[in-house]
Amino acid sequence: MEDTDMNDMLMTRNSVGSEDIKISARHVQVFYGDTHAIKDVDVDINDKTVTAFIGPSGCGKSTFLRCLNRMNDTIDIARVEGEILLDGEDIYDKRVDPVQLRAKVGMVFQKPNPFPKSIYDNVAYGPKIHGLAKSKGELDEIVEKSLRRAALWDEAKDRLDQPGTGLSGGQQQRLCIARAVATNPEVLLMDEPCSALDPIATAQVEELIDELRENFSVVIVTHSMQQAARVSQKTAFFHLGNLVEFDDTTKIFSNPEDPRTESYITGRIG
Amino acid sequence: MPTSEHIVSSFDRDLEGIQGLIMRMGGLVEEAISDAAKALDTRDVELAQKVRAGDAAIDALDQTINEEAANIIARRQPIARDLRTVLTVFRISNNLERIGDYAKNIAKRSEAIIEHPPVEGTGASLRRMARQVELMLKDVLDAYIQQDADKAQDVRERDIEVDQMYSALFREYLTFMMEDPRNITTCMHLHFMAKNIERMGDHATSIAEQVMYLVTGELPDDERPKANAVPMA
Repeated sequence: MEDTDMNDMLMTRNSVGSEDIKISARHVQVFYGDTHAIKDVDVDINDKTVTAFIGPSGCGKSTFLRCLNRMNDTIDIARVEGEILLDGEDIYDKRVDPVQLRAKVGMVFQKPNPFPKSIYDNVAYGPKIHGLAKSKGELDEIVEKSLRRAALWDEAKDRLDQPGTGLSGGQQQRLCIARAVATNPEVLLMDEPCSALDPIATAQVEELIDELRENFSVVIVTHSMQQAARVSQKTAFFHLGNLVEFDDTTKIFSNPEDPRTESYITGRIG
Repeated sequence: MPTSEHIVSSFDRDLEGIQGLIMRMGGLVEEAISDAAKALDTRDVELAQKVRAGDAAIDALDQTINEEAANIIARRQPIARDLRTVLTVFRISNNLERIGDYAKNIAKRSEAIIEHPPVEGTGASLRRMARQVELMLKDVLDAYIQQDADKAQDVRERDIEVDQMYSALFREYLTFMMEDPRNITTCMHLHFMAKNIERMGDHATSIAEQVMYLVTGELPDDERPKANAVPMA
């Protein structure tokens, strides 16, 4: 093997993603009524990188994820403090429209939740309401591109008019990913995207996540630390509302700094 | 190499990556064996120095391979053949690193020997023995990359020839030393060099056994053929 090939291969493998910061969170606190769910979290999410949030149930990882596209706004008793900057702009600024924000910061949920519409309409919905296509032809292009990005095009191209709910679980989840990428977001948030999928569908979604990182910044919440180890370049460990440790995934899973991280990933605390 | 691709393609890239590093390390070690023996035979101090300096690159690769393999275990949780691939990478890398050390030691002793008058014919016979081991190493690395257990078994069986060569050289050096005590310093060095090459053969054999484990999932359970031990008197 040529040295250059080898270097390329090593570069790819050791890659810790881009160093450009996409989202910067400072002193973020979240309260649900009297419950202090997130305690003074600082974190930088890099562009074109998969960042995983891990931690036991109730540690705040999903709550924090939901701060990143203001999903907590929909919960009356939730209160978010601190600063979250997307490309340097505060997403909690009064002038920011949460609907526009969520087009830029898309979300994929735990359970595949396609609309009770055709595969085509599921993907076309976002671009339509955000006025991203001027013609039917353009919309067709966006739908195809999104389904391709979600690695679903080959399976779906002959049945675009059939209901999305008729797909298998893994396909439905990839449809939801296609729907999320259709609005041309910059960041994709994924909340346990594989927990309802079998191992093969999980592997397909993980492969997809690895491909999506070329174009998007991906943040994934997972209760499977093995999944975090497999798919991410950066890992954040949350515990009792605190961000305990945030580092390169390789470092977290081979030699973490904090004893709590080690105890959690080695199955000594839940 | 796995018989088909993983759904997660970066896993394949990781596995191919460490196997590629093993092959690169193997290439450096083959070269070190060949150069060390040539330096002795041609009394080339410069070449001997090159071999000694080159060992650092082999050691560095060993370390990189260990780190990469540990990362794969931590991040991919390999099982079945994938697990065996990673386990054998650790061991083969260790075998290669030791062979590299022996080559370095031969180079070091060559530099010492060159200061003394040559003992007729000894350089060439040691070089033939080194060539034999170098070929074993080349074939076992081919067997590794081709996942060919039969080829590995063949290499394993050839170690007996190296053992026989070592026994013959041992007797030869003994004779030279008895003939003329002025040969003792040189022949003591030559003996250690022959022993080093014999140990290299053992490491090549160990790599062959790792290839068999990788392919079949089992280490060979038959006793490896061995030449008679060196006469102790």
